[in-house]
Amino acid sequence: MTTHALAPSPHESHAKGHKHHEYPPGDLAIWVFILAELSAFFVLFAAYAFTRLKHLDLFNDMQRTLDADAGMLNTLLLITGSWCVARAIAAIKRNHSRQSAHWLMAGILTGVGFLIVKFFEYGAKFDAGINLETNLFYTFYLALTMFHAMHVVLGMAILLIIWKKTMAGGYSAQDHHGMETGASYWHMVDLVWIILFPLVYVMR
Amino acid sequence: MSAHFLNVIWVALMVATILTWFIGKSVTMDVSLVVAVLLISAVKGWLIIYDFMALRRVKVLWRALVLGWLLLTLAVILLAYWLGLK
Repeated sequence: MTTHALAPSPHESHAKGHKHHEYPPGDLAIWVFILAELSAFFVLFAAYAFTRLKHLDLFNDMQRTLDADAGMLNTLLLITGSWCVARAIAAIKRNHSRQSAHWLMAGILTGVGFLIVKFFEYGAKFDAGINLETNLFYTFYLALTMFHAMHVVLGMAILLIIWKKTMAGGYSAQDHHGMETGASYWHMVDLVWIILFPLVYVMR
Repeated sequence: MSAHFLNVIWVALMVATILTWFIGKSVTMDVSLVVAVLLISAVKGWLIIYDFMALRRVKVLWRALVLGWLLLTLAVILLAYWLGLK
Protein backbone atom coordinates (compact mmCIF):
# COMPACT_ATOMS: atom_id res chain seq x y z
CA MET A 1 0.00 0.00 0.00
CA THR A 2 2.10 2.88 -1.21
CA THR A 3 0.80 6.28 -2.10
CA HIS A 4 3.95 8.21 -2.36
CA ALA A 5 2.14 10.70 -4.54
CA LEU A 6 -0.07 11.40 -1.58
CA ALA A 7 2.60 10.93 1.04
CA PRO A 8 4.10 14.00 2.52
CA SER A 9 7.28 15.57 1.72
CA PRO A 10 7.85 16.26 5.36
CA HIS A 11 5.96 19.53 5.63
CA GLU A 12 6.22 20.70 9.15
CA SER A 13 4.97 23.71 10.97
CA HIS A 14 6.17 25.13 14.22
CA ALA A 15 3.79 26.17 16.95
CA LYS A 16 4.63 26.93 20.55
CA GLY A 17 8.17 25.73 19.92
CA HIS A 18 7.06 22.19 18.99
CA LYS A 19 7.54 20.59 15.62
CA HIS A 20 4.15 19.73 14.12
CA HIS A 21 3.88 17.29 11.21
CA GLU A 22 1.52 17.93 8.35
CA TYR A 23 0.40 14.28 8.12
CA PRO A 24 -0.01 11.41 10.60
CA PRO A 25 2.65 8.66 10.79
CA GLY A 26 2.69 6.13 7.97
CA ASP A 27 1.00 6.06 4.62
CA LEU A 28 -1.88 8.47 4.10
CA ALA A 29 -3.94 5.66 2.54
CA ILE A 30 -3.90 3.67 5.80
CA TRP A 31 -5.42 6.68 7.58
CA VAL A 32 -8.27 6.82 5.08
CA PHE A 33 -8.76 3.09 5.76
CA ILE A 34 -8.54 3.63 9.54
CA LEU A 35 -11.18 6.38 9.42
CA ALA A 36 -13.47 4.11 7.36
CA GLU A 37 -12.99 1.27 9.88
CA LEU A 38 -13.67 3.61 12.81
CA SER A 39 -16.87 4.77 11.10
CA ALA A 40 -18.04 1.16 10.71
CA PHE A 41 -17.37 0.45 14.39
CA PHE A 42 -19.18 3.67 15.36
CA VAL A 43 -22.32 2.40 13.60
CA LEU A 44 -22.03 -1.00 15.31
CA PHE A 45 -21.49 0.52 18.77
CA ALA A 46 -24.42 2.92 18.34
CA ALA A 47 -26.61 0.06 17.08
CA TYR A 48 -25.69 -2.00 20.16
CA ALA A 49 -26.36 0.87 22.58
CA PHE A 50 -29.75 1.80 21.10
CA THR A 51 -30.90 -1.81 20.60
CA ARG A 52 -30.07 -2.37 24.27
CA LEU A 53 -32.43 0.50 25.11
CA LYS A 54 -35.35 -1.53 23.78
CA HIS A 55 -34.26 -4.76 25.51
CA LEU A 56 -32.74 -3.54 28.77
CA ASP A 57 -33.51 -6.59 30.91
CA LEU A 58 -32.30 -9.04 28.25
CA PHE A 59 -29.02 -7.16 27.69
CA ASN A 60 -28.37 -6.67 31.43
CA ASP A 61 -29.10 -10.33 32.24
CA MET A 62 -27.12 -11.72 29.32
CA GLN A 63 -24.14 -9.47 29.98
CA ARG A 64 -23.76 -11.14 33.38
CA THR A 65 -23.21 -14.44 31.55
CA LEU A 66 -20.10 -13.06 29.79
CA ASP A 67 -16.60 -13.74 31.08
CA ALA A 68 -15.55 -10.21 32.07
CA ASP A 69 -12.19 -11.55 33.31
CA ALA A 70 -11.43 -12.77 29.77
CA GLY A 71 -12.49 -9.37 28.42
CA MET A 72 -10.17 -7.63 30.85
CA LEU A 73 -7.28 -9.98 30.05
CA ASN A 74 -7.75 -9.32 26.35
CA THR A 75 -7.77 -5.57 26.96
CA LEU A 76 -4.47 -5.87 28.81
CA LEU A 77 -3.06 -7.95 25.93
CA LEU A 78 -4.08 -5.46 23.23
CA ILE A 79 -2.78 -2.48 25.21
CA THR A 80 0.49 -4.33 25.73
CA GLY A 81 0.59 -5.15 22.01
CA SER A 82 0.13 -1.50 21.15
CA TRP A 83 2.88 -0.51 23.59
CA CYS A 84 5.24 -3.13 22.07
CA VAL A 85 4.69 -1.70 18.58
CA ALA A 86 5.16 1.88 19.84
CA ARG A 87 8.47 0.69 21.36
CA ALA A 88 9.40 -0.91 18.01
CA ILE A 89 8.95 2.47 16.31
CA ALA A 90 10.99 4.18 19.04
CA ALA A 91 13.76 1.57 18.54
CA ILE A 92 13.91 1.90 14.75
CA LYS A 93 14.14 5.68 15.11
CA ARG A 94 17.42 5.00 16.94
CA ASN A 95 18.48 2.56 14.20
CA HIS A 96 18.13 -0.43 16.55
CA SER A 97 16.75 -2.86 13.97
CA ARG A 98 17.16 -6.04 15.98
CA GLN A 99 15.53 -4.51 19.07
CA SER A 100 12.73 -3.14 16.91
CA ALA A 101 12.10 -6.61 15.47
CA HIS A 102 11.91 -8.10 18.97
CA TRP A 103 9.30 -5.54 20.00
CA LEU A 104 7.30 -6.28 16.84
CA MET A 105 7.38 -10.01 17.59
CA ALA A 106 6.24 -9.30 21.15
CA GLY A 107 3.33 -7.34 19.66
CA ILE A 108 2.43 -10.27 17.41
CA LEU A 109 2.52 -12.63 20.41
CA THR A 110 0.06 -10.44 22.31
CA GLY A 111 -2.25 -10.88 19.31
CA VAL A 112 -1.78 -14.66 19.55
CA GLY A 113 -2.61 -14.41 23.27
CA PHE A 114 -5.74 -12.40 22.45
CA LEU A 115 -6.94 -15.05 20.00
CA ILE A 116 -6.23 -17.88 22.45
CA VAL A 117 -8.34 -16.15 25.14
CA LYS A 118 -11.08 -15.58 22.55
CA PHE A 119 -10.89 -19.24 21.48
CA PHE A 120 -11.59 -20.41 25.04
CA GLU A 121 -14.22 -17.71 25.59
CA TYR A 122 -16.12 -18.67 22.43
CA GLY A 123 -15.59 -22.36 23.17
CA ALA A 124 -17.35 -22.02 26.53
CA LYS A 125 -20.28 -20.24 24.88
CA PHE A 126 -20.58 -22.70 21.99
CA ASP A 127 -20.41 -25.64 24.44
CA ALA A 128 -23.33 -24.05 26.30
CA GLY A 129 -25.28 -24.09 23.03
CA ILE A 130 -25.00 -20.35 22.46
CA ASN A 131 -24.81 -19.08 18.90
CA LEU A 132 -25.69 -16.04 16.79
CA GLU A 133 -29.40 -16.88 16.97
CA THR A 134 -29.63 -17.44 20.74
CA ASN A 135 -30.94 -13.93 21.36
CA LEU A 136 -30.35 -10.32 20.30
CA PHE A 137 -27.63 -9.73 22.89
CA TYR A 138 -25.58 -12.71 21.72
CA THR A 139 -26.10 -11.73 18.09
CA PHE A 140 -24.42 -8.41 18.90
CA TYR A 141 -21.79 -9.91 21.19
CA LEU A 142 -20.66 -12.52 18.66
CA ALA A 143 -20.91 -10.24 15.62
CA LEU A 144 -19.05 -7.35 17.27
CA THR A 145 -16.28 -9.42 18.84
CA MET A 146 -15.79 -11.66 15.78
CA PHE A 147 -15.64 -8.62 13.49
CA HIS A 148 -13.03 -7.13 15.82
CA ALA A 149 -11.10 -10.42 16.01
CA MET A 150 -10.83 -10.42 12.19
CA HIS A 151 -9.11 -7.04 12.51
CA VAL A 152 -6.71 -8.51 15.08
CA VAL A 153 -5.82 -11.28 12.61
CA LEU A 154 -5.25 -8.76 9.80
CA GLY A 155 -3.15 -6.60 12.15
CA MET A 156 -1.02 -9.60 13.09
CA ALA A 157 -0.49 -10.46 9.41
CA ILE A 158 0.65 -6.89 8.72
CA LEU A 159 2.99 -6.94 11.74
CA LEU A 160 4.44 -10.27 10.59
CA ILE A 161 5.32 -8.80 7.18
CA ILE A 162 6.88 -5.76 8.85
CA TRP A 163 8.78 -8.00 11.28
CA LYS A 164 10.29 -9.99 8.40
CA LYS A 165 11.40 -6.81 6.66
CA THR A 166 12.81 -5.44 9.93
CA MET A 167 14.76 -8.67 10.52
CA ALA A 168 16.21 -8.27 7.00
CA GLY A 169 17.32 -4.74 7.86
CA GLY A 170 14.69 -3.17 5.62
CA TYR A 171 13.95 -0.24 7.93
CA SER A 172 16.17 2.45 9.38
CA ALA A 173 15.94 5.67 11.34
CA GLN A 174 15.65 7.50 8.02
CA ASP A 175 13.19 5.09 6.36
CA HIS A 176 10.52 3.43 8.49
CA HIS A 177 7.41 4.75 6.74
CA GLY A 178 6.10 1.21 6.15
CA MET A 179 6.54 0.25 9.79
CA GLU A 180 4.59 3.33 10.87
CA THR A 181 1.81 2.40 8.43
CA GLY A 182 1.36 -1.05 9.98
CA ALA A 183 1.73 0.32 13.51
CA SER A 184 -1.07 2.84 12.92
CA TYR A 185 -3.44 0.04 11.90
CA TRP A 186 -2.49 -2.05 14.94
CA HIS A 187 -3.16 0.89 17.28
CA MET A 188 -6.59 1.33 15.66
CA VAL A 189 -7.43 -2.29 16.56
CA ASP A 190 -6.49 -1.48 20.18
CA LEU A 191 -8.45 1.79 20.18
CA VAL A 192 -11.66 0.07 19.04
CA TRP A 193 -11.36 -2.55 21.80
CA ILE A 194 -10.92 0.25 24.37
CA ILE A 195 -14.60 1.07 23.71
CA LEU A 196 -15.84 -2.44 22.97
CA PHE A 197 -14.67 -3.84 26.33
CA PRO A 198 -16.62 -1.45 28.62
CA LEU A 199 -19.62 -1.33 26.29
CA VAL A 200 -20.15 -5.08 25.97
CA TYR A 201 -18.55 -6.51 29.13
CA VAL A 202 -18.85 -3.82 31.80
CA MET A 203 -21.66 -1.26 31.44
CA ARG A 204 -25.20 -2.26 32.36
CA MET B 1 8.70 9.58 21.97
CA SER B 2 11.05 8.32 24.66
CA ALA B 3 10.89 4.70 25.74
CA HIS B 4 10.40 5.78 29.36
CA PHE B 5 7.40 7.94 28.43
CA LEU B 6 5.84 5.06 26.48
CA ASN B 7 6.32 2.79 29.50
CA VAL B 8 4.50 5.29 31.73
CA ILE B 9 1.59 5.47 29.27
CA TRP B 10 1.44 1.65 29.15
CA VAL B 11 1.29 1.36 32.94
CA ALA B 12 -1.43 4.05 33.10
CA LEU B 13 -3.50 2.18 30.50
CA MET B 14 -3.10 -1.13 32.35
CA VAL B 15 -4.18 0.42 35.66
CA ALA B 16 -7.17 2.14 34.00
CA THR B 17 -8.24 -1.19 32.47
CA ILE B 18 -8.12 -2.99 35.81
CA LEU B 19 -10.11 -0.12 37.36
CA THR B 20 -12.79 -0.46 34.64
CA TRP B 21 -12.96 -4.21 35.22
CA PHE B 22 -13.24 -3.65 38.99
CA ILE B 23 -16.14 -1.20 38.50
CA GLY B 24 -17.83 -3.85 36.37
CA LYS B 25 -17.77 -6.18 39.38
CA SER B 26 -20.28 -3.89 41.13
CA VAL B 27 -23.61 -5.58 41.62
CA THR B 28 -25.52 -2.40 40.79
CA MET B 29 -24.18 0.06 38.30
CA ASP B 30 -25.72 3.50 38.68
CA VAL B 31 -25.29 6.50 36.40
CA SER B 32 -22.17 7.72 38.24
CA LEU B 33 -20.39 4.41 37.56
CA VAL B 34 -21.45 4.45 33.91
CA VAL B 35 -20.06 7.99 33.58
CA ALA B 36 -16.86 6.91 35.40
CA VAL B 37 -16.37 3.99 32.99
CA LEU B 38 -16.90 6.25 29.97
CA LEU B 39 -14.51 8.89 31.34
CA ILE B 40 -11.84 6.25 31.92
CA SER B 41 -12.38 5.02 28.35
CA ALA B 42 -12.05 8.60 27.07
CA VAL B 43 -8.72 9.04 28.87
CA LYS B 44 -7.46 5.65 27.64
CA GLY B 45 -8.47 6.43 24.06
CA TRP B 46 -6.89 9.87 24.31
CA LEU B 47 -3.57 8.39 25.46
CA ILE B 48 -3.59 5.80 22.66
CA ILE B 49 -4.37 8.43 20.02
CA TYR B 50 -1.81 10.95 21.29
CA ASP B 51 1.06 8.73 22.33
CA PHE B 52 0.79 5.30 20.67
CA MET B 53 -0.72 6.50 17.37
CA ALA B 54 1.66 9.48 17.73
CA LEU B 55 -0.88 12.13 16.73
CA ARG B 56 0.25 14.50 19.50
CA ARG B 57 2.50 16.43 17.13
CA VAL B 58 0.35 16.16 14.02
CA LYS B 59 -1.74 18.97 12.57
CA VAL B 60 -4.96 19.51 14.47
CA LEU B 61 -7.25 18.26 11.66
CA TRP B 62 -5.95 14.70 11.98
CA ARG B 63 -6.11 14.73 15.75
CA ALA B 64 -9.61 16.19 15.60
CA LEU B 65 -10.83 13.44 13.25
CA VAL B 66 -9.70 10.58 15.48
CA LEU B 67 -10.41 12.29 18.81
CA GLY B 68 -13.77 13.37 17.39
CA TRP B 69 -14.58 9.73 16.63
CA LEU B 70 -13.68 8.76 20.20
CA LEU B 71 -15.71 11.52 21.86
CA LEU B 72 -18.71 11.16 19.53
CA THR B 73 -18.83 7.39 20.07
CA LEU B 74 -18.67 7.77 23.85
CA ALA B 75 -21.28 10.56 23.77
CA VAL B 76 -23.72 8.41 21.77
CA ILE B 77 -23.20 5.51 24.17
CA LEU B 78 -23.75 7.84 27.15
CA LEU B 79 -26.94 9.18 25.57
CA ALA B 80 -28.30 5.67 25.03
CA TYR B 81 -27.51 4.65 28.62
CA TRP B 82 -28.98 7.87 30.00
CA LEU B 83 -32.20 7.28 28.06
CA GLY B 84 -32.28 3.77 29.50
CA LEU B 85 -32.21 5.14 33.04
CA LYS B 86 -35.26 7.34 32.49
